[in-house]
Order: sequence, then structure tokens, then C-alpha cells
Amino acid sequence: MKKNKGMIVAFLTPAVLFFLVIFVYPILRTILMSFFNIEGVTDAMGLWTFTGIENYVTLLSTSLFRTAMLNLGKIWLFGGIIVMSLSLLFGVIITSGIRFKKFFRAVIYLPNIVSAVALATMWLQYVYNPQYGLFKTFFSALHLDSLASIPWTDGDHKFMALLIAYCFGMVGYHMLIWTSGIERISPDYYEAALIDGANKIHQFRYITLPLLKGVFKTNITMWSVTCVGFFVWSQLFSTVTAETATITPMVYMYMQMFGAGNTMTDRNAGLAASIGVVLSLCVVLVFTLCNLLLKDDDLEF
Amino acid sequence: MNKLKLRFASVNWKKEARLLPGYIIVTLWVLFTFVLLGWVLCASFSTTQEIFAGKATKFPTGLHFENYVKAWTTSNVSEFFMNSLVYSIVSCVLLILICAPAAYVLARYTFIGNKLIQTGFASAMGIPVIMIILPLFGIISQLGVLQNVMSNKIVLIFLYIGINVPYTTIFLTTFFTNISRTYEEAAAIDGCPPMKTFWKIMFPMAQSGLVTVTIFNFINIWNEYFISLIIASRNETKPVAVGLYGMINSMKYTGDWSGMFAAVVIVFLPTFILYLFLSEKIIGGVTGGIKG
Repeated sequence: MKKNKGMIVAFLTPAVLFFLVIFVYPILRTILMSFFNIEGVTDAMGLWTFTGIENYVTLLSTSLFRTAMLNLGKIWLFGGIIVMSLSLLFGVIITSGIRFKKFFRAVIYLPNIVSAVALATMWLQYVYNPQYGLFKTFFSALHLDSLASIPWTDGDHKFMALLIAYCFGMVGYHMLIWTSGIERISPDYYEAALIDGANKIHQFRYITLPLLKGVFKTNITMWSVTCVGFFVWSQLFSTVTAETATITPMVYMYMQMFGAGNTMTDRNAGLAASIGVVLSLCVVLVFTLCNLLLKDDDLEF
Repeated sequence: MNKLKLRFASVNWKKEARLLPGYIIVTLWVLFTFVLLGWVLCASFSTTQEIFAGKATKFPTGLHFENYVKAWTTSNVSEFFMNSLVYSIVSCVLLILICAPAAYVLARYTFIGNKLIQTGFASAMGIPVIMIILPLFGIISQLGVLQNVMSNKIVLIFLYIGINVPYTTIFLTTFFTNISRTYEEAAAIDGCPPMKTFWKIMFPMAQSGLVTVTIFNFINIWNEYFISLIIASRNETKPVAVGLYGMINSMKYTGDWSGMFAAVVIVFLPTFILYLFLSEKIIGGVTGGIKG
């Protein structure tokens, strides 16, 4: 053991250093910053003025930030319901013994490897285009003129358009997490259930679902983590800065810190830091709630 | 024999019929994906007038390769593309050299702090970028490295490595844990020092895990957007994702839609080609890094 001490230190140091510089130090500093009023992000600590929880109070009383949080909540909840149910459905279909399983799985996951900027552009400039768009031509061909004439990218429909496009891109990833969980369930359970006369739906309800609790937890956590970082899609779907229909906290923070800032007059890095803390707390909250509500310790498989 | 064959055929047919709703659902989804990507590919070979006339897939005036030439030469795409290529390749290589040894030590040795480091790395995967970007940006602009193209690029690579260290290390730790210890024991008996054992025996043996995690890192870094948007503010340092965003905005004024679709294709082609050949490995990488 002693002989290997040098090796352990030498092998671990670079990775741990990166971790300390990129994660630990910035996280601690961001938490600290959120309690101060800081004019420039490069200001030394001596120039900070302590304001307690004032940044958080300001944030919560800013209507644009509240709108951003509400948008994020809607994306998380509605998008979450759509993505979780679709991905679970696909996961079950993929593992049900169909042919070309690998092909289907690969194509459903495909949108995840495409750059979000490229994918969002495809949706915006093709699917939702009012002149030659896919939805327009498709619904016109079916003579569903009311659906064909929906102006997807106007103020009223933009959020829905954004949500649909985003969900399309996310389904594949969560499907893979479901599939890996389903594939770990021993086929013995299904055999026993079959002998007892349970049909496919019963099997799904009483075997698959309860055994997928842990995987569900993973899925919700990963979904929350990606939702909190919701940025590219919002930026691409907005035609003006700070568009209320599509703004998210991350976009708000970007505007506050780095953007042209046509809505913000004063620059306060502490305020931006408190947005980061609020979003991180949301993730921690979801994670804790999931752990409390979905105890799966008794189900080892 | 004939009877048996018949029974097999009928069982199979019944099974397929039962799965029919499943087939229909996934086929529709796959079809939509193909239409989406296929149309964009067609539009990139078409002209702006044809796109607006709804004839993007009919090519009345033939294939227009000049869209690609134009996007590649006049709209800086070649510059963004080369930047992204350098960022991704350099970061991926360094990530392996940094994370593989760390993962090996974490997987093989018990020492104080092992559990702490692993938990730390695992939680870092759930940290939103917004939580770390302000202090990082503060340090970077204080150091004045953004004034110089070369140092700007180095800083970007440093950040790309940093944010991917936790995932890469955790993934490889699981991988090394699953390799049998007998190889090291044999090497130790033959008098091979542990460090040499790692580089000569374990590192090559972990090849398939290293390849998987590298493809995954490559795609992540190629598509990274937020950090690049903040740190790479000038054209000489922009990667493709940020460059494409700028191009789309300028395209709205010039009205060159076919050129824009060509740029979109150029941006997603490298990861798409990787995926065509290595989709099984990539899919394995997604679930490998997550403990269900």
C-alpha cells in the first residue's frame, strides 16, 4: 500500500486539480457572490458590498425573472410529462422483441447528437415555416386547414412550438435510460407472471413499472438538470431580446451579465450569481423529493 | 416436420401482429426524423427560390453544390469548423490522459478520500453551468487572456476539459472496476512496477471504454454552446455552434436560405458520420455513465 502512495497522488492530481478549479472554487465563490452587490464580475472581493439576501428579494420581485421561472416550470412539467411518457412508451416498444430494434433505437436517439443550434434551425426554418413548412404542407395535404394555418412562430404559439421541438430532441436520451432499466429486469418475472395468466398490460403495470422506480428517479434528475440549463432553444426561438414568451432564467442571466442589456439598467454580478444558486437549489430540491418519494432500497434486482 | 414448420410460422406471425401497434408508433417517429433531416439535406442542394416555391426536393435546376462552396468560403464556416475540430480533438486526447489514470486509481485502490472524490465527481455532473461560469469568466477576463487569439483558444480547451473531467472519470472508473485483477497480479509477480503495469497493460486493455467515452466527449464538445458563446467572442476563436448562430442571424438580412441549410448540414455532418459508424458505442456510452 505504501509503495503505491506516489502513484495514487501522481495519477489523481491532474483530475482533482481540474475539478477544484472548474467546479469547487467557482461554486463556492458563486454562492458567496449571491449575497453581495458586485458592479463588475472582475471586481476584487474588497469592492463587494454585502447586502444579505437582497439579491434574492430583488430577483423574486422582478416580473421578467418570475416570467422566466414560470416558463422554466412549464417546460419542466409539461415537457417532462410528454418526454417521460413518450420515452417510456418507446423504451417498452424497443424492448418488446421487435425486429430492427437497433435501427429504431439508433434513429430515435439521433437528434441528441445533432448540435442544438442546427436542430432548432431545422424546426424553425423548416417544420414551422408558414410558407413551405412541413406542418403546413402536411396538414394542407390532409385538408386540415385550421391546423395548417397555425402561425407556429407568432407570440401566442411560440412557447408551444418551442416545447414540441425541444421534446422531440430529448425523447431519445430518456428512452435509452428506460431501456437500460427494462433490460436489467430478469425475464423470470415475466415468465412467472405469464404462467399465472397475466397479460402484457398487467405485466407492465405490476412488474415493469414498480421495478423501474430507480430508473425513473435517474430520468427525472437528468431531465431537471438539462431543463435548468435551458438556453440555446430559447435564444433561437426569440426574435427580440427578453421575449417574455420564451425567456428562461439562464437567458435572463445571460442578458444581465453579458448581453446588450436593453432591459437592465444596472449591472450586478451578485444578482446573476443568485440566479445560479436558485436554479441549483431547484435541482437539489427535485433530487431530494425524488429520493423521499421513491424509495427503492427494498427492491434489489 | 411440416406441421412443426407451420406452427413456428403461425407463432411468429401472431407475435408480429401483437407488436404491430409498436411497429406503427416507432415507424412514424422514425419517418418524421428522416423527413426532417432529409428535407434539410435536399434544401441545402436547392436554391432559395425553389425552397420558397415548395420545390426543394424536386431539384428543377439540378444540384447546387455551390451552396456549400459559398458557405464554406465566404461565411467563415471553414474557420469555425477547423476551430471546433482542434478544440474537440485536443480536449478529447487530454481528457483521456488526465482521467484514465485517475479513474484507474479510484477503481483499484482504497485510500482516504476515494469515496469523497467519486461522490464529488458524480454530483458535479448535476451542476448547471450557470453556477460556475461567473467566477470562471471573472478570472479569465482578469488574466487578460481574451485579448490574444491563441491564449483564448487555450482557455477554451482548458474549460472544455474541466467540465468533462467528472463524467469521463466516473465512466472510466466503472469500466476499470469491471476488468479482472488477475492481469495486475501476474504483472506484479513478474516484477512490473504498478505505474508501468497501468500504461503497458491496463491502459491498452481499456481501449473499448476509452473509445466510447472519447466519442461521447467529442460530440459534447463539438455541440457545446453556452461557454463558447461567452468565452469565444471573436470570429477567429468561435466553434461551429456559435458561428452557426451568428450566420443564421446574418442570413435573415441577406435572405440566403439554401446557404444557411448548407451551413446547418456542415455543422451536423461530423457528429452524424461518427454516429453512423459508431452508434452502438455511443448508445452504450449514454447508459454507461449513469448508475440507474
